[in-house]
Amino acid sequence: MADESKFQLFAKSISRRDFVIKSVAAGIFALLPRYVQAAAGKPYKIGVCLPTTGPGANYSVRPIKGLPLIAAEINKRGGLLGKHPIELYFRDTQTKPDVGAREARSLILNQNVQTIIGTWSSAVAMAIQEIIHEKKVLHLAATSNSSKIVNENYTPYSFQFGPNSRMQSAATVVAVLKLIKKRGWKKYLTLGQDYEWGRDAQHVFVDTLTKKSPQTKLIKELWCKLGETDFTSYITAVMALKPDFMFGAIAGKDNETFLQQAKAAGLFKRVAYPGVFLPVTELMQQRKTLPRHLIGINRCPFFAHMDNPMMQGYVKTYQAKFGKDDYPDDFACMYFDALNGLAQGAAKAGSTNSDAIKDAMKGATMDTCRGKLAFRECNNQLDAPSYVGEVVDTPDYPFPIFDPKSLIIVKGKDVWIPTCEEVRKLQKKRS
Amino acid sequence: MDFGSIMIQIFSGLSRAMMLFLLSSGLSLIFGVMNILNFAHATLWLVAGYLTFSLFQGFGQMFGDSSLLLIPAIVLATCAMFALGWAIERFLIRRMYERELPEQLLMTFALILILGDLIKLIWGVENRRIFLPIEPMEAFGSFINPYFFVIIAVGFGVAIGLWWFLHRTRYGKTVRAAVHSRDMVSALGIRIPTIYAGVFALGVSIAGLAAGVFLPIMPIGLGVDMDLIVQCFAVVVIGGFGSILGTFVASIIVGIVYAFSILIWPDGAIAIIFLILVSVLIWRPWGLFGNEMRY
Repeated sequence: MADESKFQLFAKSISRRDFVIKSVAAGIFALLPRYVQAAAGKPYKIGVCLPTTGPGANYSVRPIKGLPLIAAEINKRGGLLGKHPIELYFRDTQTKPDVGAREARSLILNQNVQTIIGTWSSAVAMAIQEIIHEKKVLHLAATSNSSKIVNENYTPYSFQFGPNSRMQSAATVVAVLKLIKKRGWKKYLTLGQDYEWGRDAQHVFVDTLTKKSPQTKLIKELWCKLGETDFTSYITAVMALKPDFMFGAIAGKDNETFLQQAKAAGLFKRVAYPGVFLPVTELMQQRKTLPRHLIGINRCPFFAHMDNPMMQGYVKTYQAKFGKDDYPDDFACMYFDALNGLAQGAAKAGSTNSDAIKDAMKGATMDTCRGKLAFRECNNQLDAPSYVGEVVDTPDYPFPIFDPKSLIIVKGKDVWIPTCEEVRKLQKKRS
Repeated sequence: MDFGSIMIQIFSGLSRAMMLFLLSSGLSLIFGVMNILNFAHATLWLVAGYLTFSLFQGFGQMFGDSSLLLIPAIVLATCAMFALGWAIERFLIRRMYERELPEQLLMTFALILILGDLIKLIWGVENRRIFLPIEPMEAFGSFINPYFFVIIAVGFGVAIGLWWFLHRTRYGKTVRAAVHSRDMVSALGIRIPTIYAGVFALGVSIAGLAAGVFLPIMPIGLGVDMDLIVQCFAVVVIGGFGSILGTFVASIIVGIVYAFSILIWPDGAIAIIFLILVSVLIWRPWGLFGNEMRY
């Protein structure tokens, strides 16, 4: 009876309307913190499309190892905008455009990723671009570097963090012109991988060299298929044609295979090979066999920027995890810049919305492990330098590096071709 | 083009030819005797390559670095591949003899995916190769890779060895008899399953030997197998399925034609090989040395 009187007392003290309003209010206050917390801590999902199989697999090993470390560093600060921890979703593109496109689509539709990072092979990157453009998802390209990614196939959602093929080939021309003058070279041939990047890099090299040194004659163009395992016939053909020098547009596993077979066959004793693509990956992998004094080119060698605190910090973190003998290669460093660039873009935009970030990053200057670099307003191409140097041994590292005394750093803006006006014309083809 | 350049191009073509022969002969042998189209042949070659690499490294740690350690590594890996081939035939292939060709292909394709993932788990995705201090040799007024001669010698050695085995040994003669009439051989009290297991293991072990021989000049990695299997099929189709002599001749044709195409018409080098393949398929579908009856 006592309980009943208490209830009657309570019932009399509150009207039905008050009861409903107060119950709803209590419910809202009880649930609000959960939703507020969820909004603050909503993870930012990033899809990483890189090949772990196929010709590009060896250039993806270190980015795959390094990306979780970089994400962890950003997440220590709370993630993007200090409140969106980064979550990475890895997918193997197998260096195949159809597989890359399928994986990117799956990441966007099933995992709801907001950014795609990758990939190796420009053909795969361009296949992915079609999807990110359609779904308005950001795309940070840091390995694939065909100039078409930022020109003919341009989409405002793609950002290029390495020097593109045109910039890299033009940088090679800078070095080759010096050697033509010094050694009196008159004829050359080219050997390129027969796919998007190889064709693009070769075309720009030949085009630029012809303009700057018309007397230097191209005697033959050789094309090898992507994934070639036996370069023997190409090597002997190059020696039979007796050029003064050759230009190569070969990357990935094929590059390693070619260099090893060429050295054993004596190619470098007969023909000069300036401008061979030698990222830190190759310098480490081929430490024993790489011919010394080759003139190579790479995109982001850590050893050229050990005076930069960002690079120092990354190398330290990387080695703390993977040991003193392992170093982040060019690609791992460019992905470092890509992920940090995204964090800087989000901070500048004050939002994790893809459109807001892309607008904030357009023409923006970024802090990178290569120093301060700016995106080109007309095509989202970072002012990324190319590095041309001579392979020499050093007591500082357990593998050869580019001789710091003669290292040529060709700034991105010095070889930004074509002009923005021409770029816009090329971009119109897509639109 | 001078004489030296032609000679060097011939040797480079022969080297490529012997590489193709070493890989294709096992494929052709298995198909010829067992009627099994082993799509996973090049993947087994890849497994052997990784195995040889690990053995070479292991021996290096035990006995110190020496190029000669490659020989026991190759021998052991070849024996291991023989055992693996036997096991695969015993537990997988044997169940497929009565099935249709597409089912056999699907099964061996599944094997490619399984072995590929196993390689990834055990050895990772990085390229592997064995470093030998190979220095170029002066020949015909130019330079040549002396390892070409090793590959050519091993290729010819395997060709002669296979011929001797199939034509001069009792076991080999039984194998050939089984190709023509397995029922008759079986009626004579000879165990056909044992012959099949032996042939499959032999084919796989030749691929194992090839992997070890290639390692000093060709890094191995995931995906290389798929590229090679296409070329192997081209060689086997041109030569005639099941014909070792055909495989040998087709390898030389493909190797030499490819080497000179690179020099003369590089853009059409691959196309020429496949034009030969198409021509053979149209005018002689059983291949240059294949058996019309089998076709």
